[in-house]
Amino acid sequence: MSSTRVISLDFECSTPRSLDEALEALNEEGAQVLAGGTDLINNIKTNAVEPRRLVYILGIADLDYVTVQGNSLSIGAGARLGDIEHHRQVVSRFPALCEAIDVIGGTQIRNMATLAGNICNASPGADTPPILLVLDAEVEICGANDASPAQRNRLPLGGFFSGPKKTVLKQGQMVASMTLPLPPEHSGAAFRRLARVSLDIAKINCAAYIEREGDRIRLARIALGSVAPTPVRAPTIESALEGQKCSERLLRQASELVAEDIAPIDDVRSTAAYRRQIASLLVREALQEAWKRSRGKK
Amino acid sequence: MKIAITLKVNGKDYPLEVKPNEILLNVLRDRLGLMGTKYGCGIGECGACTVLLEGRAILSCQTLAFTADGKRITTIEGLEKNGSLDPLQQAFIDEGAVQCGYCTPGMILSAKALLDVKPDPTNEEIKQAIRGNLCRCTGYTNIVRAIRTASVAIKDQGRKTK
Repeated sequence: MSSTRVISLDFECSTPRSLDEALEALNEEGAQVLAGGTDLINNIKTNAVEPRRLVYILGIADLDYVTVQGNSLSIGAGARLGDIEHHRQVVSRFPALCEAIDVIGGTQIRNMATLAGNICNASPGADTPPILLVLDAEVEICGANDASPAQRNRLPLGGFFSGPKKTVLKQGQMVASMTLPLPPEHSGAAFRRLARVSLDIAKINCAAYIEREGDRIRLARIALGSVAPTPVRAPTIESALEGQKCSERLLRQASELVAEDIAPIDDVRSTAAYRRQIASLLVREALQEAWKRSRGKK
Repeated sequence: MKIAITLKVNGKDYPLEVKPNEILLNVLRDRLGLMGTKYGCGIGECGACTVLLEGRAILSCQTLAFTADGKRITTIEGLEKNGSLDPLQQAFIDEGAVQCGYCTPGMILSAKALLDVKPDPTNEEIKQAIRGNLCRCTGYTNIVRAIRTASVAIKDQGRKTK
Protein backbone atom coordinates (compact mmCIF):
# COMPACT_ATOMS: atom_id res chain seq x y z
CA MET A 1 0.00 0.00 0.00
CA SER A 2 1.18 3.50 -0.75
CA SER A 3 1.43 6.03 2.08
CA THR A 4 3.38 9.24 2.49
CA ARG A 5 3.65 8.81 6.27
CA VAL A 6 5.09 5.34 6.69
CA ILE A 7 7.10 3.05 4.46
CA SER A 8 5.56 -0.40 4.37
CA LEU A 9 8.24 -1.95 2.17
CA ASP A 10 10.85 -3.89 4.13
CA PHE A 11 14.45 -3.56 3.05
CA GLU A 12 17.92 -3.96 4.47
CA CYS A 13 20.48 -1.20 4.80
CA SER A 14 24.24 -0.75 4.75
CA THR A 15 26.23 2.10 6.23
CA PRO A 16 29.61 1.86 4.46
CA ARG A 17 32.50 4.02 5.62
CA SER A 18 34.46 3.76 2.38
CA LEU A 19 33.79 3.66 -1.33
CA ASP A 20 35.03 0.05 -1.49
CA GLU A 21 32.56 -1.00 1.19
CA ALA A 22 29.77 0.80 -0.64
CA LEU A 23 30.61 -0.92 -3.95
CA GLU A 24 30.66 -4.30 -2.28
CA ALA A 25 27.19 -3.72 -0.83
CA LEU A 26 25.91 -2.44 -4.18
CA ASN A 27 26.81 -5.69 -5.91
CA GLU A 28 23.85 -7.38 -4.29
CA GLU A 29 20.78 -7.69 -6.55
CA GLY A 30 18.24 -4.98 -5.66
CA ALA A 31 20.74 -2.83 -3.77
CA GLN A 32 20.47 0.88 -4.42
CA VAL A 33 22.36 4.00 -3.35
CA LEU A 34 20.71 6.24 -0.76
CA ALA A 35 22.18 9.75 -0.53
CA GLY A 36 20.01 12.73 0.48
CA GLY A 37 16.87 10.69 -0.13
CA THR A 38 14.76 13.62 -1.32
CA ASP A 39 13.75 11.77 -4.48
CA LEU A 40 14.32 8.17 -3.42
CA ILE A 41 12.25 8.22 -0.21
CA ASN A 42 9.24 9.57 -2.12
CA ASN A 43 9.76 6.95 -4.81
CA ILE A 44 9.75 4.24 -2.15
CA LYS A 45 6.70 5.73 -0.40
CA THR A 46 4.77 5.72 -3.69
CA ASN A 47 6.02 2.23 -4.65
CA ALA A 48 7.77 3.60 -7.74
CA VAL A 49 10.88 1.69 -6.69
CA GLU A 50 11.26 -1.33 -4.43
CA PRO A 51 14.87 -1.67 -3.33
CA ARG A 52 15.96 -4.72 -1.33
CA ARG A 53 18.86 -2.86 0.24
CA LEU A 54 19.71 0.80 0.64
CA VAL A 55 23.41 1.65 0.70
CA TYR A 56 23.70 4.95 2.56
CA ILE A 57 26.69 6.80 1.15
CA LEU A 58 26.58 10.07 3.12
CA GLY A 59 28.54 8.43 5.95
CA ILE A 60 31.55 8.14 3.62
CA ALA A 61 33.75 11.11 4.49
CA ASP A 62 35.86 10.61 1.34
CA LEU A 63 32.90 11.40 -0.91
CA ASP A 64 31.93 14.65 0.81
CA TYR A 65 34.02 17.33 -0.88
CA VAL A 66 33.96 20.32 -3.20
CA THR A 67 37.42 21.23 -4.34
CA VAL A 68 39.34 23.05 -7.05
CA GLN A 69 42.38 21.08 -8.19
CA GLY A 70 44.48 22.31 -11.06
CA ASN A 71 42.13 23.38 -13.81
CA SER A 72 38.99 21.72 -12.60
CA LEU A 73 36.31 21.71 -9.97
CA SER A 74 35.60 18.34 -8.40
CA ILE A 75 32.39 17.61 -6.54
CA GLY A 76 32.13 14.39 -4.55
CA ALA A 77 28.97 12.30 -4.67
CA GLY A 78 28.32 13.16 -1.03
CA ALA A 79 28.38 16.94 -1.46
CA ARG A 80 25.01 18.52 -0.66
CA LEU A 81 23.55 21.10 -3.02
CA GLY A 82 23.68 23.71 -0.24
CA ASP A 83 27.40 23.13 0.32
CA ILE A 84 28.15 23.47 -3.38
CA GLU A 85 26.02 26.56 -3.82
CA HIS A 86 27.78 28.40 -0.97
CA HIS A 87 31.31 27.19 -1.70
CA ARG A 88 33.48 30.26 -2.24
CA GLN A 89 35.19 29.04 -5.42
CA VAL A 90 31.92 27.82 -6.92
CA VAL A 91 30.28 31.18 -6.21
CA SER A 92 33.12 33.07 -7.90
CA ARG A 93 33.90 30.73 -10.82
CA PHE A 94 30.51 29.10 -11.51
CA PRO A 95 27.80 31.67 -10.71
CA ALA A 96 25.34 30.09 -13.17
CA LEU A 97 25.70 26.71 -11.44
CA CYS A 98 24.82 28.41 -8.14
CA GLU A 99 21.78 29.98 -9.77
CA ALA A 100 20.60 26.61 -11.05
CA ILE A 101 21.06 25.01 -7.63
CA ASP A 102 19.37 27.87 -5.79
CA VAL A 103 16.01 27.28 -7.50
CA ILE A 104 15.85 23.66 -6.33
CA GLY A 105 13.33 23.10 -3.54
CA GLY A 106 13.59 24.90 -0.23
CA THR A 107 16.58 25.26 2.09
CA GLN A 108 15.86 21.87 3.67
CA ILE A 109 15.96 20.05 0.33
CA ARG A 110 19.28 21.69 -0.58
CA ASN A 111 20.71 20.78 2.84
CA MET A 112 19.88 17.13 2.15
CA ALA A 113 20.05 16.53 -1.59
CA THR A 114 23.28 15.92 -3.50
CA LEU A 115 24.28 17.04 -6.99
CA ALA A 116 25.12 13.43 -7.89
CA GLY A 117 21.63 12.45 -6.77
CA ASN A 118 20.04 15.12 -8.98
CA ILE A 119 21.89 13.64 -11.95
CA CYS A 120 21.28 9.99 -11.07
CA ASN A 121 17.57 10.61 -10.58
CA ALA A 122 17.69 11.58 -14.28
CA SER A 123 14.52 13.60 -14.37
CA PRO A 124 14.22 15.20 -17.84
CA GLY A 125 13.25 18.44 -16.08
CA ALA A 126 15.95 18.49 -13.37
CA ASP A 127 17.53 21.91 -12.92
CA THR A 128 21.23 21.07 -12.76
CA PRO A 129 21.80 18.94 -15.92
CA PRO A 130 21.49 21.81 -18.48
CA ILE A 131 24.10 23.96 -16.77
CA LEU A 132 26.35 20.95 -16.09
CA LEU A 133 26.07 19.98 -19.77
CA VAL A 134 27.11 23.40 -21.05
CA LEU A 135 29.94 23.55 -18.52
CA ASP A 136 31.25 20.29 -19.99
CA ALA A 137 30.85 18.22 -16.83
CA GLU A 138 32.19 14.70 -16.61
CA VAL A 139 30.78 11.99 -14.38
CA GLU A 140 33.09 9.59 -12.61
CA ILE A 141 31.54 6.14 -12.41
CA CYS A 142 32.90 3.25 -10.40
CA GLY A 143 31.93 -0.30 -9.54
CA ALA A 144 30.70 -3.45 -11.27
CA ASN A 145 34.16 -4.41 -12.43
CA ASP A 146 35.07 -7.61 -10.61
CA ALA A 147 38.74 -7.41 -11.52
CA SER A 148 39.22 -3.98 -9.98
CA PRO A 149 36.13 -2.86 -8.11
CA ALA A 150 37.41 0.63 -7.37
CA GLN A 151 38.36 1.39 -10.97
CA ARG A 152 36.85 4.68 -12.02
CA ASN A 153 35.69 5.62 -15.48
CA ARG A 154 34.96 9.12 -16.63
CA LEU A 155 32.07 9.82 -18.94
CA PRO A 156 30.88 13.14 -20.40
CA LEU A 157 27.52 13.96 -18.79
CA GLY A 158 25.91 14.00 -22.25
CA GLY A 159 26.39 10.22 -22.45
CA PHE A 160 25.06 9.54 -18.96
CA PHE A 161 21.31 9.92 -19.47
CA SER A 162 19.59 7.13 -21.41
CA GLY A 163 15.91 8.05 -21.01
CA PRO A 164 13.39 9.60 -18.62
CA LYS A 165 14.58 8.61 -15.14
CA LYS A 166 17.18 6.32 -16.75
CA THR A 167 20.96 6.45 -16.80
CA VAL A 168 23.71 4.19 -18.09
CA LEU A 169 24.53 3.06 -14.52
CA LYS A 170 24.40 -0.71 -14.12
CA GLN A 171 23.70 -2.73 -10.99
CA GLY A 172 26.72 -2.37 -8.75
CA GLN A 173 27.82 0.96 -10.17
CA MET A 174 27.61 4.39 -8.63
CA VAL A 175 28.71 7.93 -9.35
CA ALA A 176 31.75 8.84 -7.25
CA SER A 177 32.19 12.43 -8.36
CA MET A 178 31.63 15.05 -11.03
CA THR A 179 34.32 17.20 -12.60
CA LEU A 180 33.96 20.56 -14.34
CA PRO A 181 36.80 22.34 -16.13
CA LEU A 182 37.37 25.85 -14.80
CA PRO A 183 35.88 28.24 -17.36
CA PRO A 184 38.54 30.28 -19.16
CA GLU A 185 38.67 34.06 -19.23
CA HIS A 186 36.30 35.66 -21.74
CA SER A 187 33.65 33.05 -21.09
CA GLY A 188 30.22 33.34 -19.53
CA ALA A 189 27.35 31.05 -18.58
CA ALA A 190 23.73 31.58 -17.63
CA PHE A 191 20.71 29.58 -16.49
CA ARG A 192 17.02 30.27 -17.07
CA ARG A 193 13.88 28.42 -16.02
CA LEU A 194 10.14 28.74 -16.05
CA ALA A 195 7.90 27.29 -13.35
CA ARG A 196 4.47 28.08 -11.99
CA VAL A 197 5.66 28.95 -8.47
CA SER A 198 9.20 28.95 -7.15
CA LEU A 199 9.11 25.52 -5.46
CA ASP A 200 7.68 23.88 -8.57
CA ILE A 201 9.57 21.61 -10.89
CA ALA A 202 10.43 23.50 -14.09
CA LYS A 203 8.09 23.54 -17.09
CA ILE A 204 11.27 24.11 -19.05
CA ASN A 205 14.81 25.17 -18.24
CA CYS A 206 17.93 25.97 -20.18
CA ALA A 207 21.55 26.99 -19.88
CA ALA A 208 24.00 28.68 -22.21
CA TYR A 209 27.77 28.97 -22.25
CA ILE A 210 29.77 31.24 -24.53
CA GLU A 211 33.49 31.71 -25.09
CA ARG A 212 34.18 34.97 -26.85
CA GLU A 213 36.97 36.22 -29.03
CA GLY A 214 36.66 39.99 -29.34
CA ASP A 215 33.18 40.58 -30.72
CA ARG A 216 32.85 37.03 -32.03
CA ILE A 217 31.43 33.90 -30.46
CA ARG A 218 34.29 31.41 -30.50
CA LEU A 219 32.33 28.57 -28.92
CA ALA A 220 28.75 28.16 -27.74
CA ARG A 221 27.00 25.42 -25.80
CA ILE A 222 23.29 25.38 -25.11
CA ALA A 223 21.28 22.76 -23.23
CA LEU A 224 17.64 22.43 -22.26
CA GLY A 225 15.59 20.40 -19.82
CA SER A 226 11.95 19.23 -19.90
CA VAL A 227 11.85 19.34 -23.70
CA ALA A 228 12.94 15.78 -24.54
CA PRO A 229 13.23 12.35 -22.85
CA THR A 230 16.59 13.48 -21.40
CA PRO A 231 18.26 16.85 -20.89
CA VAL A 232 19.59 17.77 -24.36
CA ARG A 233 22.17 19.97 -26.05
CA ALA A 234 21.05 22.23 -28.91
CA PRO A 235 23.66 21.60 -31.64
CA THR A 236 21.74 23.44 -34.35
CA ILE A 237 21.86 26.69 -32.38
CA GLU A 238 25.45 26.07 -31.36
CA SER A 239 26.69 25.77 -34.93
CA ALA A 240 24.63 28.78 -36.02
CA LEU A 241 26.47 30.87 -33.43
CA GLU A 242 30.04 29.64 -33.59
CA GLY A 243 32.47 31.93 -35.35
CA GLN A 244 29.81 34.61 -35.82
CA LYS A 245 29.97 38.20 -34.79
CA CYS A 246 27.60 38.55 -31.85
CA SER A 247 24.55 40.77 -32.23
CA GLU A 248 21.03 40.88 -30.84
CA ARG A 249 19.82 39.78 -34.25
CA LEU A 250 22.12 36.77 -34.36
CA LEU A 251 21.09 35.63 -30.88
CA ARG A 252 17.41 35.98 -31.79
CA GLN A 253 17.70 34.16 -35.10
CA ALA A 254 19.82 31.38 -33.66
CA SER A 255 17.45 30.91 -30.70
CA GLU A 256 14.56 30.42 -33.10
CA LEU A 257 16.27 27.30 -34.44
CA VAL A 258 15.67 25.57 -31.09
CA ALA A 259 12.70 23.61 -32.50
CA GLU A 260 15.23 21.51 -34.47
CA ASP A 261 16.84 20.31 -31.27
CA ILE A 262 13.91 19.57 -28.96
CA ALA A 263 10.96 17.17 -28.84
CA PRO A 264 8.67 18.37 -26.04
CA ILE A 265 5.51 16.59 -24.92
CA ASP A 266 2.28 17.54 -23.12
CA ASP A 267 2.42 16.64 -19.43
CA VAL A 268 1.13 17.77 -16.03
CA ARG A 269 3.34 20.85 -16.01
CA SER A 270 2.95 22.26 -19.50
CA THR A 271 2.14 21.55 -23.14
CA ALA A 272 4.41 20.72 -26.05
CA ALA A 273 3.17 23.76 -27.96
CA TYR A 274 3.92 26.17 -25.12
CA ARG A 275 7.32 24.63 -24.50
CA ARG A 276 8.23 24.90 -28.17
CA GLN A 277 7.16 28.52 -28.24
CA ILE A 278 8.81 29.62 -25.02
CA ALA A 279 12.04 27.65 -25.55
CA SER A 280 13.45 30.11 -28.08
CA LEU A 281 12.84 33.05 -25.75
CA LEU A 282 14.44 31.28 -22.82
CA VAL A 283 17.46 30.31 -24.91
CA ARG A 284 17.78 33.89 -26.17
CA GLU A 285 17.75 35.27 -22.63
CA ALA A 286 20.34 32.76 -21.50
CA LEU A 287 22.56 33.57 -24.49
CA GLN A 288 22.27 37.32 -23.87
CA GLU A 289 23.26 36.86 -20.23
CA ALA A 290 26.11 34.46 -21.06
CA TRP A 291 27.46 36.91 -23.63
CA LYS A 292 27.23 39.77 -21.15
CA ARG A 293 29.10 37.74 -18.55
CA SER A 294 31.79 36.73 -21.03
CA ARG A 295 33.00 40.34 -20.89
CA GLY A 296 34.15 39.66 -17.34
CA LYS A 297 33.52 41.67 -14.21
CA LYS A 298 33.05 45.37 -14.67
CA MET B 1 16.76 -6.38 10.20
CA LYS B 2 17.11 -4.04 13.19
CA ILE B 3 19.86 -1.53 13.74
CA ALA B 4 21.02 -0.14 17.07
CA ILE B 5 21.33 3.62 16.85
CA THR B 6 21.54 6.58 19.18
CA LEU B 7 19.49 9.65 18.42
CA LYS B 8 20.83 12.75 20.18
CA VAL B 9 17.69 14.81 20.43
CA ASN B 10 17.63 18.16 22.21
CA GLY B 11 20.78 17.31 24.15
CA LYS B 12 19.57 13.90 25.33
CA ASP B 13 20.75 10.50 24.06
CA TYR B 14 18.10 7.98 23.03
CA PRO B 15 19.49 4.50 22.32
CA LEU B 16 17.02 2.78 20.00
CA GLU B 17 16.60 -0.20 17.73
CA VAL B 18 15.09 0.80 14.41
CA LYS B 19 14.15 -0.97 11.22
CA PRO B 20 15.79 0.40 8.05
CA ASN B 21 12.44 1.68 6.77
CA GLU B 22 11.56 3.72 9.85
CA ILE B 23 11.24 7.43 9.14
CA LEU B 24 12.82 9.92 11.52
CA LEU B 25 9.59 11.92 11.85
CA ASN B 26 7.69 8.86 13.07
CA VAL B 27 10.45 7.85 15.49
CA LEU B 28 10.45 11.34 17.01
CA ARG B 29 6.67 11.42 17.35
CA ASP B 30 5.60 7.85 17.98
CA ARG B 31 8.57 6.44 19.85
CA LEU B 32 10.05 9.46 21.64
CA GLY B 33 6.71 11.21 22.17
CA LEU B 34 8.00 14.49 20.71
CA MET B 35 4.78 15.60 19.05
CA GLY B 36 5.97 19.11 18.16
CA THR B 37 7.31 17.98 14.80
CA LYS B 38 4.41 17.73 12.37
CA TYR B 39 3.46 15.40 9.56
CA GLY B 40 2.21 17.53 6.69
CA CYS B 41 2.53 16.39 3.11
CA GLY B 42 4.97 13.53 3.62
CA ILE B 43 6.65 14.25 0.29
CA GLY B 44 9.01 17.07 1.12
CA GLU B 45 6.93 19.98 -0.11
CA CYS B 46 5.53 21.69 3.00
CA GLY B 47 8.28 21.87 5.65
CA ALA B 48 6.01 21.01 8.61
CA CYS B 49 8.36 18.17 9.58
CA THR B 50 11.48 20.39 9.64
CA VAL B 51 14.04 19.64 12.38
CA LEU B 52 17.66 20.69 12.75
CA LEU B 53 20.28 18.04 12.03
CA GLU B 54 23.72 19.21 13.14
CA GLY B 55 22.25 22.72 13.15
CA ARG B 56 20.86 22.65 9.62
CA ALA B 57 17.22 22.53 8.64
CA ILE B 58 16.21 19.19 7.11
CA LEU B 59 12.97 17.33 6.45
CA SER B 60 12.35 14.53 8.94
CA CYS B 61 9.67 12.95 6.71
CA GLN B 62 12.31 12.34 4.03
CA THR B 63 14.94 11.02 6.43
CA LEU B 64 15.35 7.39 7.42
CA ALA B 65 16.03 7.21 11.16
CA PHE B 66 19.15 5.05 10.78
CA THR B 67 20.88 7.80 8.77
CA ALA B 68 20.57 10.17 11.76
CA ASP B 69 22.55 7.82 14.04
CA GLY B 70 24.83 9.84 16.32
CA LYS B 71 23.84 13.19 14.83
CA ARG B 72 22.68 16.16 16.86
CA ILE B 73 18.94 16.74 16.33
CA THR B 74 16.96 19.76 17.54
CA THR B 75 13.17 19.72 17.54
CA ILE B 76 10.84 22.54 18.58
CA GLU B 77 10.77 21.05 22.11
CA GLY B 78 14.49 21.76 22.40
CA LEU B 79 14.32 25.52 21.97
CA GLU B 80 12.96 26.45 25.39
CA LYS B 81 15.78 26.93 27.91
CA ASN B 82 15.16 26.76 31.69
CA GLY B 83 11.51 27.60 31.35
CA SER B 84 11.98 30.56 29.01
CA LEU B 85 10.97 30.51 25.39
CA ASP B 86 13.51 31.03 22.64
CA PRO B 87 13.38 34.63 21.31
CA LEU B 88 11.91 33.20 18.10
CA GLN B 89 9.06 31.48 19.95
CA GLN B 90 8.35 34.66 21.92
CA ALA B 91 8.43 36.81 18.78
CA PHE B 92 5.99 34.49 16.97
CA ILE B 93 3.54 34.99 19.87
CA ASP B 94 4.11 38.74 20.15
CA GLU B 95 3.79 39.40 16.41
CA GLY B 96 0.70 37.21 15.92
CA ALA B 97 2.67 34.91 13.64
CA VAL B 98 0.75 31.83 14.82
CA GLN B 99 -2.80 31.10 13.77
CA CYS B 100 -3.53 27.38 13.47
CA GLY B 101 0.03 26.64 14.52
CA TYR B 102 0.62 23.61 12.30
CA CYS B 103 3.45 25.13 10.28
CA THR B 104 4.93 26.95 13.28
CA PRO B 105 7.45 24.38 14.60
CA GLY B 106 8.97 23.91 11.15
CA MET B 107 8.84 27.61 10.44
CA ILE B 108 10.62 28.47 13.70
CA LEU B 109 13.31 25.83 13.17
CA SER B 110 14.03 27.08 9.64
CA ALA B 111 14.30 30.58 11.10
CA LYS B 112 16.54 29.31 13.89
CA ALA B 113 18.95 27.71 11.41
CA LEU B 114 19.09 31.05 9.59
CA LEU B 115 19.64 33.25 12.66
CA ASP B 116 22.32 30.89 14.02
CA VAL B 117 24.51 31.60 10.99
CA LYS B 118 23.15 35.02 10.01
CA PRO B 119 22.02 36.97 13.10
CA ASP B 120 20.98 40.04 11.10
CA PRO B 121 19.34 38.80 7.88
CA THR B 122 17.62 40.95 5.27
CA ASN B 123 13.92 40.39 4.64
CA GLU B 124 14.89 38.70 1.37
CA GLU B 125 17.18 36.29 3.23
CA ILE B 126 14.39 35.53 5.71
CA LYS B 127 11.99 34.78 2.85
CA GLN B 128 14.56 32.55 1.16
CA ALA B 129 15.19 30.67 4.42
CA ILE B 130 11.49 29.85 4.87
CA ARG B 131 10.81 29.20 1.18
CA GLY B 132 10.44 25.50 2.00
CA ASN B 133 7.87 26.09 4.76
CA LEU B 134 4.30 26.53 3.64
CA CYS B 135 1.78 28.43 5.75
CA ARG B 136 -1.86 28.30 4.69
CA CYS B 137 -3.55 30.52 7.27
CA THR B 138 -1.41 32.97 9.24
CA GLY B 139 0.13 34.61 6.20
CA TYR B 140 3.80 35.22 5.69
CA THR B 141 3.88 38.95 6.59
CA ASN B 142 3.61 38.40 10.33
CA ILE B 143 5.97 35.44 10.16
CA VAL B 144 8.71 37.45 8.44
CA ARG B 145 8.14 40.28 10.94
CA ALA B 146 8.41 37.85 13.87
CA ILE B 147 11.73 36.53 12.60
CA ARG B 148 12.99 40.10 12.24
CA THR B 149 11.79 40.92 15.78
CA ALA B 150 13.57 37.83 17.10
CA SER B 151 16.82 38.81 15.40
CA VAL B 152 16.67 42.21 17.12
CA ALA B 153 15.81 40.57 20.47
CA ILE B 154 18.76 38.20 20.16
CA LYS B 155 21.09 41.12 19.44
CA ASP B 156 19.75 43.04 22.44
CA GLN B 157 20.15 39.97 24.63
CA GLY B 158 23.74 39.64 23.47
CA ARG B 159 24.43 43.28 24.40
CA LYS B 160 22.97 42.85 27.89
CA THR B 161 25.01 39.76 28.67
CA LYS B 162 28.25 41.41 27.50
